[in-house]
Amino acid sequence: MATGVDQAAGMSLVVFSLVLFTYYSVWVIILPFVARDHFLHKYFLPREYSVILPGVAAIILLICVGAFAAVVLWKNRKPKKSD
Amino acid sequence: MVRVVLRALSAWRLIWRLRGGLLPLTMTKLVEWLVGVSLVLVVWAVVSFDLLELSLPPSYREVAWPMPLYLLVSFGCFSLATVGYRVATFNDCEDAAKELREHIREAKEDLRKKGLKM
Repeated sequence: MATGVDQAAGMSLVVFSLVLFTYYSVWVIILPFVARDHFLHKYFLPREYSVILPGVAAIILLICVGAFAAVVLWKNRKPKKSD
Repeated sequence: MVRVVLRALSAWRLIWRLRGGLLPLTMTKLVEWLVGVSLVLVVWAVVSFDLLELSLPPSYREVAWPMPLYLLVSFGCFSLATVGYRVATFNDCEDAAKELREHIREAKEDLRKKGLKM
């Protein structure tokens, strides 16, 4: 079995993705069928954000991947030999 | 709601039967997938932008139009959960790792004695 930190990190990833999936599902699928003045709407942002936030997250992810690739390529560049 | 579901089910049955036999033999998997994806996209567009003027209740339209993004987000969540679960249940072999480190140390000692510069 995986040890200590590995198990904690793995399980926290699982829990985080479950929470995210549940929140997003309720937001997108269940809320439109709930009455406008139900208390549940208090816990959710306006519906436009259900499109904007994943878009922003995708852009941030792309930027992180690009930055990582740039750093690795920069570190591995070899100076050209010229006699 | 039941009528919409029944209509969707009969469409799926038709698609499934087409996959089985009516398509020409040169149909590649790529073309099959493209046909399937574009069919789903057409259904989604008809429902969310009301192209056929079916006048579904507005809450159905509100659920339908973010569907592609919702499927993408749920796929991302599923991938994240799978990665996390596989990390948590990975099969570490602590004894084998220790033994391997010991072998490496012995091999390095032996080679150093025989003159190999490390």
